[in-house]
Amino acid sequence: MSKPSDLVQGTLDLLILKMLALEPLNGFAIGQRLKQLSSEILQVSDGSLYPALHKLEQEGWVSSEWRRSENNRRAKFYSLTRAGKKQLQVESGNWERLAAAISALVRLQEA
Amino acid sequence: MNPDRWIRKVALRLRSLVNRREVERELDEELQYHVEQQTAENIRQGMTPEKARLAAVQALGGLELQKEQVRDTRGTRGVEELGRDFVVALRSLRRAPGFALAVVLTLALGIGANTAMFTLLRGTLLRALPNRDSDRLVYIRQSAVGVGDQNTRFSVPEVADYRAQAHTLASLAEYSSSVPFTLVGSDGAPARVRVGVVSGGYFTVMGLEPVLGRLIADRDDGPAATSVAVLSHQYWVSHFGGDSGIVGETVRLNGIVSTVIGIVQPAPHYPQRTDVFVNIVTSPHHLSASMVTERTHRMTELFARLAPGATVEQAQDEVARVAAALAKEHPEAYEQGAQYAISLASLRVAVNQRASLTFWLLMGAAAFVLLIACANVANLTLMRGVAREREMIVRATLGAGRMRLRRLLLVENLALALAGGALGVLVAFAALRLLVAFAAQFSPRAAEIRIDGIVLAVGLGTSVVAAFVLSLVPSIGGTGSIAGALSATGRRTTLGRGGQRFQRLLVVAQLAVSMVLLTGAGLLVRTLSKLQSVDTGVHGERVLTLDLPLSGALEEAVMKQPENVVMYERLQARVAGVPGVEAVSLASLAPLRSSIASFDVKGEGQTLPPNTATPRAALKTVDPHYFGVAGVPLLRGRTFASTDRRESARVAIINESLARQLFGDVDPIGRRVAWTGEVLKFSPLSGEWRTVVGVVGDTRDEGLENAPTPSVYEPFAQEFIMGATLVVRAADEPGALQPAVVRAIRAEAPGQLVEGVTTLDDIRDETVAPRRLNAMFIASFAALALLIAMVGIAGVLAFSVSRRTAEIGIRMSLGADAARVKRMVLSEGGVLLAGGVGAGIVGALLAGRLLRSLLFGVSPSDPTTLGGVALLLSAVGVLACWLPAARAARVDPAEALRAD
Repeated sequence: MSKPSDLVQGTLDLLILKMLALEPLNGFAIGQRLKQLSSEILQVSDGSLYPALHKLEQEGWVSSEWRRSENNRRAKFYSLTRAGKKQLQVESGNWERLAAAISALVRLQEA
Repeated sequence: MNPDRWIRKVALRLRSLVNRREVERELDEELQYHVEQQTAENIRQGMTPEKARLAAVQALGGLELQKEQVRDTRGTRGVEELGRDFVVALRSLRRAPGFALAVVLTLALGIGANTAMFTLLRGTLLRALPNRDSDRLVYIRQSAVGVGDQNTRFSVPEVADYRAQAHTLASLAEYSSSVPFTLVGSDGAPARVRVGVVSGGYFTVMGLEPVLGRLIADRDDGPAATSVAVLSHQYWVSHFGGDSGIVGETVRLNGIVSTVIGIVQPAPHYPQRTDVFVNIVTSPHHLSASMVTERTHRMTELFARLAPGATVEQAQDEVARVAAALAKEHPEAYEQGAQYAISLASLRVAVNQRASLTFWLLMGAAAFVLLIACANVANLTLMRGVAREREMIVRATLGAGRMRLRRLLLVENLALALAGGALGVLVAFAALRLLVAFAAQFSPRAAEIRIDGIVLAVGLGTSVVAAFVLSLVPSIGGTGSIAGALSATGRRTTLGRGGQRFQRLLVVAQLAVSMVLLTGAGLLVRTLSKLQSVDTGVHGERVLTLDLPLSGALEEAVMKQPENVVMYERLQARVAGVPGVEAVSLASLAPLRSSIASFDVKGEGQTLPPNTATPRAALKTVDPHYFGVAGVPLLRGRTFASTDRRESARVAIINESLARQLFGDVDPIGRRVAWTGEVLKFSPLSGEWRTVVGVVGDTRDEGLENAPTPSVYEPFAQEFIMGATLVVRAADEPGALQPAVVRAIRAEAPGQLVEGVTTLDDIRDETVAPRRLNAMFIASFAALALLIAMVGIAGVLAFSVSRRTAEIGIRMSLGADAARVKRMVLSEGGVLLAGGVGAGIVGALLAGRLLRSLLFGVSPSDPTTLGGVALLLSAVGVLACWLPAARAARVDPAEALRAD
């Protein structure tokens, strides 16, 4: 975790995994939700979404299948695999430790 | 790790590779869906439809780029692109067919030569012997260099002493092959076979297994056993067609009925080729009292298995100690002057000894050829690199990374090298037969030579390594950074300074290596011509020789001397009547054949200086016509006469070197000689005095590089007979006479064996033949190297000229004439040639030392050879430079300046 890009990449993975833990979604829907959820704070471009999704799939964290979407069009839906669920726990844990450490650090500087 | 996840991962990657189109289509559809949804969303937010779609695509950062990024996640790009690079490489090579052809052919020759030589090396020297735990096997040799005997072998008492006293040797095996044998099978036709008489422990010690039946074992030892025979695999296949029915059948060996009990696995035969292995009881000679009890009755080869933990060196030391003790204990059996000595070597070393140096030299020569070939290809690549610089720049600006370009080059080189390698392996396959025949002259393991997986892997490996090395060349050549190349104005047409220097270095190296190979070839060829100019001492022409051995029970047959003389003289008379035959003589041995009958000899009234060995001479029995037909000149006295019969006075003719050894400067005619020594006790030879009636010229029976063999000739009718050779002088071509002569013999004696039918010319050629093959191989490698190097130097100069056309044009317009330009180019080549020849001479002097033991009458640093080769290389080199120089001289300044 030395380069900042790793941090952002890792965060995006975490966000996607978290979202898929709730329900299977297609790529466009994930993008929409990401924008809604994190509109002000995080800038997630569409451009990094699909590479991230495919990487997660290649890693075996998520699986995909073709289904009809709400507007009755064929779309690729992603869902979490069992390994993905475990990975989500690991990454959430990492994130929380990191967040805690950073906020502790920030507070230290303020004092 | 979760296995489920791994299966998923592997399945996905396989899918991306195998079902690539489907995966791509899905990706396309997925992104399309995204764009459509986003466009709809954008329209909802108030954009125009065109703008909405554009924004959607832009948000992804462009569809193609997005796809590329997704593809990156698959982790299969490397493999996919390799395939695509291969296609690109093939396409780009098709555009340069001349270049591709030159590279493939050059590499094919280099790799072919190496694969062939490696095949040879692996089949003979590198592979372990097929014997079980073969690295524990040793071969023990006793020699007596004082009497010129490199292998005296061992007597039964000696073997017993070594068995009892050498503790570093766990077990000893005895093998003896000096008795001639004939085999009569179910068809009743006798045939000469090479028989090895072995002890019961032989096959156990040698670690050999039967492929059929059983092998000779301890219970087959001793005089009470029944006679049994084991066939060698080679003989079984060649003479019995690999028929398993032969096991259990009986054959007659020298009249003794023997049961074939098994076939032994294929294994190299050492020290002689062996067709049939028999137990002691099959050879009455081995059961004779003297054979068992006499320390000087040496007929046995000795093999041993090292005791656990013992090394070859320890065994050698111990055996030498035992030998010293034996010599002290039995001084009468180890004459001081004969210098008895023992050597012990790993069986593998002993088997490979003759071939080792030659084969490694050839491998080295082949490696040199490959080196030159690679240097040439590197040069070609370098030149092509300059021409392709613009292509590379275009590729780089279109987004190909530095690594990607490297890989493209590597793949291109790989395609070339693999094509070259494949062609090279085909060359090796084609040469296999030739190779085996060649190897058979040097190694008993020639039959084991084959192209197997390892050989192919080495060929493939060589190709791949060559490709990698070649791919590094442009970066050494300093094609430079892309930015640098782009900033240069116009078109760069020459290599950078570093590149040029490297290119010239390659040419110098090529020339130097060619010089080394040419010198090696030159030395071997000179050796050959020196050898061929050595006088064999046998000057007969149009001579055919045929061996007519005795068959049946040899021990008895030898005793029937008068009957044998009559029989052979009848055959002689019959052959003399064949049309086209000028003269026929009878002898115990064909001219120039090395005699197995060598004994100590003494001259009457001669006392030897102390500590000199008693002279040893070969016994040859000949009839009165022999010296005339064979062409051995009579120097003094008379030849034999038809009156020198069995009942008349004992006479002898000796050759020049024996006369000098026995009598010095004294005229030996009228003096008497006799056989002497311990050996007389167990040979049918008599020790009676014989009067010397003549002196004849020396003959070199032990090969042209060895000293003449001291010989005693006796009248054919006055000595025991173990067989005879007909020496026939033809009126015309001797080979053509063979069928008629054989027919005449068959008509007179239908059961008579006829063997070793050959011409005197062929016998003379035998010592030279392996060397000629050797010289031929090295010479062809050298010629190949020369050719490649010449193409190399010509190519580099031509390249230099074509790239300097503008410069030459300027020079010419400033007043340089054609001759001057030509000189300029020639001197450029001259510098390279001088450097190459200079470096080559140093290399040749160093390499020549390795050749020393293969040379005869030529020093490894022979100035004539070195000078001649340097001259040849320079001459051919100048010729190669002439073409580009002439082209430079024809440059039209006006045109040269306008171009580019």
